[in-house]
Amino acid sequence: MSLDNDLRNALRRVPAPEGFADRVLARVRGGQTIVSVSERRQAGLPVLHWWRGIAATFLLAAMLGGWGAHEMVERRREAAGQRAREQVLLALRITGEKLAHAERGVRHITSE
Amino acid sequence: MSALLTEVGESEDVLRRAQEGDGDAFAALVSEHESMVFSIAWHFFSDRNRSEEIAQDVFLQLYRNLGKIETCAHLLFWLRQVTSRRCIDEVRRAGPRRISLDDAPELPVAPSSHDPLASRRLRESISTLPPRQRMVVTLRYQEDLDPSEIGRIVGLPVNTIKSHLHRALLALRKKMGVET
Repeated sequence: MSLDNDLRNALRRVPAPEGFADRVLARVRGGQTIVSVSERRQAGLPVLHWWRGIAATFLLAAMLGGWGAHEMVERRREAAGQRAREQVLLALRITGEKLAHAERGVRHITSE
Repeated sequence: MSALLTEVGESEDVLRRAQEGDGDAFAALVSEHESMVFSIAWHFFSDRNRSEEIAQDVFLQLYRNLGKIETCAHLLFWLRQVTSRRCIDEVRRAGPRRISLDDAPELPVAPSSHDPLASRRLRESISTLPPRQRMVVTLRYQEDLDPSEIGRIVGLPVNTIKSHLHRALLALRKKMGVET
């Protein structure tokens, strides 16, 4: 038996797996014409790698974290400003009342 | 002779109808060539899932390029060329990911007088060849192509193909313990 014959026998065509044509047609009909990494690469489309997904997740988390921290600082600053304003108003009111009281005392003394 | 001509004429008609958007005609083209495309990938990778993925991608690529196919002979050449190049590109990109033939399911083939264990051992030896040699051997013995046809498919000079074939056969003879 020659190697040529053995090779022809070993490398005979085999049937495609059951339902192969149906799966191809389903991909064609489903518009999934570009699905695999190799196809995306051939079509010049960006290829999504797992590490890019993780990096994007970290970047998004960092951005959201930064935005949250900034918002918290802003709210604290606003609350402190509000408290200071209220204290100033209270001080002005107290001062006004004291002045009015003093004015009434002066008037009472001068009328006597 | 006339029956053959009728058959060729029918095939050309199926191709033309597929190019005009007839889904049934495209399905007929897939059914006609699926075994050839899948087998090239299967003999190259010895990995059923990987081979099916490559074969499906080849037919999807065909669907998008149907307009460029001129004749049935051109279709056959195109399918062999795209399949072999995809296999080599894939193994270069992703590495061998070769599985042992012990783990690979035995695919049904037509019964023959050959020793199935010897065939299995030979396929195992073929799977250890470098990618280009493996593809050249596959096209030579699965598709029964001569070196010039293989050269046109894989885009290499005929002398390079002959050299690949010679080295591959030497390696296989050595592995199989066949006298030269």
